[in-house]
Amino acid sequence: MWPLHREEYLGGPRDWQQDAAVLTLAPSAAEDAAHVPLIVDATGIEGQVRRIVVTIDYSPIPLVLTFHPGRALPLLGFGVKYETGSALRASVEREDGSWAMGATYVAAMGGGCTAPAAAHARPDWQERLGEIRARLWPDTGRLRVSLRHPMDTGLAPGIAAHHLTELELASGDGETIARLELHEPVEENPALTFLLPAALARRPVTITARDNLGYRFEGRVEAQS
Amino acid sequence: MTRRAPSRRQVLLGGVAIAAASSLVRPARAASTYALNPFEVAGGVWMIEGAQESLDAANGGAICNIVLLETDAGAVIVDTGSTARFGAALRAFADQRLGGVAAVFNTHHHPDHWLGNQAFTDRPIKALADSKAAAEANGADYATALYAILGNWMTGTAPHPPAQAVAPGPVVIGGRALRLIGEAGHTGADLAILDEETGTLVAGDLLFLDRAPSLPDADIAAWKRALERLADLNPAGVVPGHGPLDRTGAALAQTRAYLEGFDDRMKRAVTRGLSPMEAILAGPMPEFAAMGANPEEYHRSVVQRWTEYESEALPVVGGA
Repeated sequence: MWPLHREEYLGGPRDWQQDAAVLTLAPSAAEDAAHVPLIVDATGIEGQVRRIVVTIDYSPIPLVLTFHPGRALPLLGFGVKYETGSALRASVEREDGSWAMGATYVAAMGGGCTAPAAAHARPDWQERLGEIRARLWPDTGRLRVSLRHPMDTGLAPGIAAHHLTELELASGDGETIARLELHEPVEENPALTFLLPAALARRPVTITARDNLGYRFEGRVEAQS
Repeated sequence: MTRRAPSRRQVLLGGVAIAAASSLVRPARAASTYALNPFEVAGGVWMIEGAQESLDAANGGAICNIVLLETDAGAVIVDTGSTARFGAALRAFADQRLGGVAAVFNTHHHPDHWLGNQAFTDRPIKALADSKAAAEANGADYATALYAILGNWMTGTAPHPPAQAVAPGPVVIGGRALRLIGEAGHTGADLAILDEETGTLVAGDLLFLDRAPSLPDADIAAWKRALERLADLNPAGVVPGHGPLDRTGAALAQTRAYLEGFDDRMKRAVTRGLSPMEAILAGPMPEFAAMGANPEEYHRSVVQRWTEYESEALPVVGGA
């Protein structure tokens, strides 16, 4: 699958290689196929990172997300759904257009993409749709953001696709810090870890997100020790 | 275990895949058998000790402790193991050595404790009402998951949830006085049984010893309150759900310390902004790292309990 995905999702770059500097950290086996925690850490890559494309080899929807770190560090913590045991790959594009790829294998009993979101078991799930929780740690530059969203893949019987499509971090003056394109395999109620340089982590950060039905969500977080 | 139902298609595909693998790769493989080693831990109280491990094809799912209490009407069996074949071996022992089976109790709804019920469907199988309901709701998912993990050991196993709901309180079976204790914390309903004659407490998974506690349905605060009440019983001996017989109070102390250690670890992780993967990579609390079933139980527990801790630590900053 990787050669096909390289063609389709990275545009078939000629200059790419596996690179141990792209850390992809995941448990060896999924305890819950709907919530497999991951960290992609490309801070060991020399020079500026343009984007990080995350794909899962054997998934009904292989493209998980694209992270444009911008002024943030190229590190992202997040969670995904697994339909079956498979390799997950993080492809890192440098400013010069070359690519470095890191990968990890997660064993999973599966069903993460075709099961209905847990939200649908609650009659009031729409009331808190899009609720944003976040905290920013100025000492470490960490930002942890969670959004309440069912992230429906459209593959569960009778439930249409309903998922976040983009998320943006901006500094108080409205300048973009980092940007994410999100797809269906991202976990329900996604929780994300970002790493900001000290200068940005001491000031307020606004978080905006959209989903495929046109809903827009917004929050603002201030540094808290 | 999964709380979300796999589709019927997956259940069927799982069965097909396993059948194909066993017929192609391991032709004419003899059925695996369980070597039960029951021993009497107090007058008329027999214990079969489970492996202090996670569910695995190597241990055939025989990981939880089983207790058989002798009565004039046959054995009272507490928990039945993970598979139909284990249940059948248990039944054979009770029939041959203890004059048959008077009744079966399931301490809670986790599958390693009751998927062996199939061997006892002609006898009363009892549990707390909420355990009965949870076993009914999750039985098919549990069986699917255990087929995937245990393979051949599960052959012929179908879930038979407990059929009778019992209330806490005293009960006499075949002349033997028992006290049924209804607690919660490890799951929403945890049954412990005190044998009045010997003072033996059959604790189910409210107590673990030298094997990492599993927390898929845990409410740690409720569990700690339950432990206080169990301590007040001053039992002469304790059979934990997993781990060796205990006559010193070690199971109570260790289970409490593990829950407090895990609670503290998670609270510190979320207030420092860690992600669950980082908490997993940190490994189990050092003083519990050498326990049976660790680090895997710790890893599972982080995934299972993370969101509760994190939503406490992250304030709401916006929305739609």
